Amino acid sequence: MTAPSLAPALTHRRPAFSFGRWLERGGVFSWLMVLPPVAFLAALVGYPFFYGIWLSLQDRPVAKAGVFVGLANYIGAWHDPVFWQVVVNTFVYTAVATLLKMVGGLGLALVMNQDFRFKNLTRALLLLPFIVPTVLSTVAWQWILDPAFSVVNWVLVASGLINSPGPSWLGNPYLAMASLIVVNTWRGLPFYAITLLAGLQTISPELYEAATIDGAGTWQRFRYVTLPLLMPVIFIVTMFSVIFTFADFQLIYVLTHGGPANATHVFATYAFDIAMVGGQFGQGAAVALTMVPPLALIILAMAIYMRAPKT
Amino acid sequence: MNGRFRQSRRDVLKLTAYGAAGALLGPAVARAAPKSLTMMHESSFIPPYDAYFKNDLAKAYEKATGIKVNYEVVSVGSLLTRVTTAAENSTGADLTAIGFNWAFLFDDKFVDVTDIAAEIGKESGGWYETAQEAVVVNGKWKAIPFGNIGQLMNWRTDWFKQAGYEKFPDTWDELLEAGVKLKKAGHPFGFELGHGFGDNHGWLYPLLWSYGAREVEADGKTIVIDSDETARAVDFCRRFFKETMFEDVLGWTDVNNNKAFLSEQISCTNNAESILWAAKKDFPEMAKVIDQSENPKGPKGRFHMLNPLCHSIFTHTEDKQAAKDFLRWLMAPKQCGAWLDIAVSYYQPFLHAYDDAPFWKVEPRNLPYRDALKTSHLPGWPAPLSRAQSESVAKYVVVDMFAKACAGKSTKEVIADANTQLKQIYRAS
Repeated sequence: MTAPSLAPALTHRRPAFSFGRWLERGGVFSWLMVLPPVAFLAALVGYPFFYGIWLSLQDRPVAKAGVFVGLANYIGAWHDPVFWQVVVNTFVYTAVATLLKMVGGLGLALVMNQDFRFKNLTRALLLLPFIVPTVLSTVAWQWILDPAFSVVNWVLVASGLINSPGPSWLGNPYLAMASLIVVNTWRGLPFYAITLLAGLQTISPELYEAATIDGAGTWQRFRYVTLPLLMPVIFIVTMFSVIFTFADFQLIYVLTHGGPANATHVFATYAFDIAMVGGQFGQGAAVALTMVPPLALIILAMAIYMRAPKT
Repeated sequence: MNGRFRQSRRDVLKLTAYGAAGALLGPAVARAAPKSLTMMHESSFIPPYDAYFKNDLAKAYEKATGIKVNYEVVSVGSLLTRVTTAAENSTGADLTAIGFNWAFLFDDKFVDVTDIAAEIGKESGGWYETAQEAVVVNGKWKAIPFGNIGQLMNWRTDWFKQAGYEKFPDTWDELLEAGVKLKKAGHPFGFELGHGFGDNHGWLYPLLWSYGAREVEADGKTIVIDSDETARAVDFCRRFFKETMFEDVLGWTDVNNNKAFLSEQISCTNNAESILWAAKKDFPEMAKVIDQSENPKGPKGRFHMLNPLCHSIFTHTEDKQAAKDFLRWLMAPKQCGAWLDIAVSYYQPFLHAYDDAPFWKVEPRNLPYRDALKTSHLPGWPAPLSRAQSESVAKYVVVDMFAKACAGKSTKEVIADANTQLKQIYRAS
């Protein structure tokens, strides 16, 4: 270092504060970059969430001021027989649909991972149910599930298996739940399949070669190579799926609106009806927020799993 | 490299700043728009009705006063959400169409229009009393009733004739009898028992009332659903369902009965005038053998569902007088009559001046919808307007009481369930 080269540096440092330089500082700039997403999250997620909690603690009719009532809305829900039906419905819907999506999605991903003609086209088509707007595809399902127009009933009747008009898919409480689970599975399967397919493709072929040399058959290769390596992906995709399914609204709202006689009401549809149709924001918020603890547990489990040191 | 990078960072910051400024300025610019009024309306089942407002009424008003009237159409089923948003945030449309008991729900957010209601009534032959049931809150008119979208019996005259019925049965028991015969002949009935918005309440409340039963007394406090009258209505409904219908109706929403009727699967349902309207347009042959009748009588009389379309002014509107003047103008015979004409009685006016209006002669089969106005009530009747009333409807208490009985539960059980729910709902409010 020579004196002349130091001089400009010193003179530069003279103007004690330069906005540009201040921005250049790692600490400042990184915070500035983080600020918009944080503000975004606070405004669009944080604020509604805490406002929701605040609402749930009030007797708050639509277009009127609220009165603080503590946990009265939660206690009210506790004593509401429909609420408990909604709890059972939501858990059944989520558990069965997620399981079906997991098994089906894994199967599809394994098939798609093979080499065959029109592989890419098939993969693209696979995504269709996921791409079509839910409300639109649900309208198509409305026709499929109407016994008078149903292609399923037509096939069953034409093949002589049952008498016309065949099962009432949405009129029977058990079939209605089963039908909704099938539609949800149909819509969610591509998400699973594509994500798992991506996971499958990261598994090195050498591992399979090594396993084959060691004498592993197809099932053993799947059991001891594919499954363990795919586990992290399966885990995460399942968590996401559980969250989405748990809070599902559109599909049920369009197909049955919670009917027949609440047999398919879930948290989101019941809370919406109470808050928006019934004009009881406090009660609606309380019902909606009871979704949070189970979902929080699931997210917590996910976080713990993801942070666990990989061995 | 470093310089360029810094440049781009600054650009990002600048853009963010402009974006934020733009977002702040946006509403300010909109607020400075020329004088205009916006009226929110649910998309009508009768498309020319919406078009007439936009193309004729709005233009005529602008020509006469210089005030531009925007007609904001919202999709079917989402009007309540939009009204809620506007009322909660005190922003948006100046006037809105409303239904059911919203005049009560949004009481604080709607302008008192008692004065113009009196003028309009005086000018057009007086108001039907039933209209007031939905809009008068604490002695003040909070909306101007426009028309009722009645829910009546829609039936196939040809099939009823084959079963030996020239006229529509006068009582529920006779209707049951006819239904048994028609179902045997392959023409079952189809009445919605699922979670729709209107076609379920449309016949189940009237059925309940016609047996002398009700959810709550006129005091709005005493729950009286647990009564012999309710039990008789439930027992009837179970038989009516089992002997004249099929399982699918338990899961129906409002689209299903229209679809089933127009595809000739059912011979009778409860609906607005939309089935006949659609048949005339798309199935003219079928339209010839469709008729509409008032609901049957029960042991305690004949009842119908009040399903009013009314107009309210939001208190957040800048110029309340301008909005009132517009509503007053809209309800004058020249405008109101023409608008009603376009919809050919799909909206049954609450003003006696229209009792013999020409549009009733265009389609006399719609006349029962006019006659039903006198015996129409809102869900929750005879109790006064209340929040509990909305909650009971939102929770499908009455609909599900009947639906559960039809699906196999005992009368005692379903009434006990409804009783528990109603006690909780009416106590909380």
